[in-house]
Amino acid sequence: MKRKYIPWAFLAVPLSLYSIWVIGPTIYTIYLSLTDWDGITAPEFQGIDNYLKLFNDPIFYTSLVNNVKWLVIFMAIPVAVGLFLAILLSKEIKWARGYKAAIYSPMILAPVVIGLIWSWIYQPQGGLLNNTLTYIGLEGLTRGWLSNPNTALYAIIGAAVWRHTGYVMLLFLSGLTAISPTVIEASKIDGASAWQRFRYILLPLLKPTTVIVIVITMIQSLRAFDFVSMMTRGGPFNTTNVLAHYMYTEAFKNYNMGYGASIAVVLFAIMFIFIVIYLRQIRKGELE
Amino acid sequence: MNFKNFSLITITLVMVMALSFSAAAQDTLVVNTYTSDPAPRKAMQELVAQYEEMNPDVEVELNITAHEDFKQAIRVWLTSDNPPDVFSWFAGNRAGYFVDRGLVMDISDVWEEENFYEKFPKAFQSISVYDDKAYFLPHNYYWWSVFYRESIFEEYGLEEPETWDEFLEVGETLKANGITPFAIGTKFRWTAAAFFDYFNMRINGAEFHKELMAGNIPFTDERVADVFEKWKYLIENDYFVENAAAYSWQEGLRFLSNGDAAMYLMGQFILDATSEEVAQDLNFFRFPIIDEDVPVAEDLPTDGFMIPAKAPHPELAKDFIAFLGSVEGQRLFAEDLGRLVTNKDMDAEVYDDLTNKGRKMIDETDELAQFYDRDMDPELADKTMDSLMAFWYAPEDYRNIMEQMEAHRQNFIND
Amino acid sequence: MELSIHQKKRIKHAVIFAALLLFVIVWLLPVFGAFLTSIRTMDDIMNNGFWSLPEEITFSNFATAWSDGNLNTYLKNSFIITIPSLIGTLSLSSLVGFALAKYKFKGNMFIYLMFVAGMLIPFQILLIPVFRLSNYLGIYNNYWGLIMIHTVFQMGFCSFFLRNYMITIPEELSEAARIDGASEFKIFYKIYLPLSLPALAALGTLQFTWIFNDYIWALVLLRDDKFKPVTAGLATLKGNFITSWSVLVAGAILATIPTIVVFIFLQKYFIRGLTMGSGK
Repeated sequence: MKRKYIPWAFLAVPLSLYSIWVIGPTIYTIYLSLTDWDGITAPEFQGIDNYLKLFNDPIFYTSLVNNVKWLVIFMAIPVAVGLFLAILLSKEIKWARGYKAAIYSPMILAPVVIGLIWSWIYQPQGGLLNNTLTYIGLEGLTRGWLSNPNTALYAIIGAAVWRHTGYVMLLFLSGLTAISPTVIEASKIDGASAWQRFRYILLPLLKPTTVIVIVITMIQSLRAFDFVSMMTRGGPFNTTNVLAHYMYTEAFKNYNMGYGASIAVVLFAIMFIFIVIYLRQIRKGELE
Repeated sequence: MNFKNFSLITITLVMVMALSFSAAAQDTLVVNTYTSDPAPRKAMQELVAQYEEMNPDVEVELNITAHEDFKQAIRVWLTSDNPPDVFSWFAGNRAGYFVDRGLVMDISDVWEEENFYEKFPKAFQSISVYDDKAYFLPHNYYWWSVFYRESIFEEYGLEEPETWDEFLEVGETLKANGITPFAIGTKFRWTAAAFFDYFNMRINGAEFHKELMAGNIPFTDERVADVFEKWKYLIENDYFVENAAAYSWQEGLRFLSNGDAAMYLMGQFILDATSEEVAQDLNFFRFPIIDEDVPVAEDLPTDGFMIPAKAPHPELAKDFIAFLGSVEGQRLFAEDLGRLVTNKDMDAEVYDDLTNKGRKMIDETDELAQFYDRDMDPELADKTMDSLMAFWYAPEDYRNIMEQMEAHRQNFIND
Repeated sequence: MELSIHQKKRIKHAVIFAALLLFVIVWLLPVFGAFLTSIRTMDDIMNNGFWSLPEEITFSNFATAWSDGNLNTYLKNSFIITIPSLIGTLSLSSLVGFALAKYKFKGNMFIYLMFVAGMLIPFQILLIPVFRLSNYLGIYNNYWGLIMIHTVFQMGFCSFFLRNYMITIPEELSEAARIDGASEFKIFYKIYLPLSLPALAALGTLQFTWIFNDYIWALVLLRDDKFKPVTAGLATLKGNFITSWSVLVAGAILATIPTIVVFIFLQKYFIRGLTMGSGK
């Protein structure tokens, strides 16, 4: 077989299936975003009306801002804590295996259960959080965490961070075990401080893993849905709504498939831009 | 293994997959319901078993889907080439929606053969018959009222209030004794919408209410302001538990169960959710009359069944529908579930005391509505219920809320 | 009192250990809450609240979840759906990862980004188009509908992951093999795949969890209960008005057992894992 056709031979089957099941439906979705459709009767072409409506929609902006807040918090907390825990637990500490499993366990529980339990943690009366605050004398801080528009989003993100940190930790753990211990030993002997070892040796060696972690974290925060759906359904009155949830409500509960599709397209475009820029940077690094 | 062999194997596998697609139409009756609550689920399973016994040559496949999910799935099922034969659904706007789009089969022949026009109370025809054709089979319904803890009322010497003023007296007494009048959980909004429904029906009457639900009256109408005024009074005077929006209706029930609150405006299924002892202690009264001159109306959500237009086994389906409308097909729901059923011929002894009290209340009611989110277009209901929640959070702001709701209505009628 | 380095180290370890223990205990509180809920009755919860000590401990919820939630059928279905999807997506994605990592050709970056893009699509919006596709192909209300969508949809992430992994496998290995006369496919099959085993194990664990826990696709692509996977089956325990939380949580715990087993089983590849630098 001619050399230049070889990659295509490998790609033939996967790519065709992918085109039928993913690319095709995506293009169809883009088409849908230009129509008014209730999911049952025929779609009615409407041009960019849905997008115009979207840019005038306050719920869209609230959702977008919420997604950005989610992204910022996700980049800061789970990534940092996950990395810290991974470094800590990659050493020889008693029961390290047990700790790893414990921290990862939220990933295994079904979202419906996580949403339920965290709702009970946040309950104003009888909830674990308020009970604890009262117990340690901080009763003034108690409130309706999920019913107060000012705290609800952060409460939900808190639960999501709880879940995501284990995932990040696991990815970093895998990356860490690839790093040859001799390199670390050598740097210790050279007299490098813990911080210097971390910054100049560990971090660069962890780069491939970091790429994956950052991409995944971006995706998870921009695509957030489960927790919002379980804990508040976007309430109180849309203050915790996020784009993926808003899109779902519009498309499936309010039967505005066209409008829902336009939200999806915008969400997709945002994610795509972020991630392509990031990956292009990385690829440049790879080629050097 | 080389590439050639690998691709041969792959292609073979793909072909085997392709050939093993099933989808053979079997001769079974497929029934899809949303009766996922523990008690109705059991009742539905037993009902199906009963039908199978009566018709030994028919096999029934019952598929139960969670309520919320069912509402999405049904739209998929109705447009697929393989819908179920019978599905459960609610009366009101939601049924009309499918009828309008030709997705439901005309069952007027069943109605005529079984004489349902006589056997069901007249009120149910208006929600089953569209354009002189019957599409919906109403099966069971439950009433809404203010449920209360008898023991608490006894302790403070309280009687069931009938007028608004009597009700306020009850409320003040309860508050004076450290008891919150209403338990409630508004996280999923419909419990709040119930209050809107009732205030509107009591103050402005069912006619106005129905027109408003249909989107024919502006939300900025002064009469709507009256509703918010009355409601605002209760919120601002501590008639409800704090942070109601943090609780689902079921979580809010805890306040009623442990005696922190005395009443709950709720549907009759509240009895299924409480423990035995609390259920024994519950009684109810009609939502108090505010204006004596206004004809009395109640929310009476009705559940029933329909046949998809593309049902694979229409004859079997119609037979099942006929069964569902008969006394035998409704007995289980009446006896075991304590629901009210639509067939008038059902013997009254089947119902327990509380249910009979409910029946009496319905008999003495002038008009019926289905419920906020069953009467109103789904999207309009979704958006305006958010507004109701915003109102609850800041009741003094209700004029703004009314404007918001009107904006939604404008979007709705212009679509 | 001067402490020796050894003693200082021991104190440091003890402090870290204690802090970690405390952290993990707090971390696990919600999980503990789930277990607590599953061993009590609904009446108990309604009367005493969720974070109280149970009046009475019962394991009947697990039995109820198993029978009411039809868990034996649904678990079987979950496996019938998940295993082929897993094999399918891992095989196809390794083909893609290999092609993209090893060969420089026009369109490489474009195809790479296409698979990356696939990760980003909010899958909810694909629900209706894929439903129509499945209906059209006759695989609606059928295991194959679900297997196909899971296999193909997960290819986005898996291809991304495997491509990034395979790119670190040094060229020299394939050069040597080529000199020995091996075909490209043999290089893939005999060199790259085995070297990618840790990555595949890691991916396998994650993908098993994702696919096993899916429930929306099952909802949209199935009409009959008899095909439903365990997650959709559990969702059926949610009533419109009344949910027996203790039964639901008990059922959910039962449903996680396969995922836990897979995790434990593959953990040794996984944690040792992802040797991003296989040129060690």
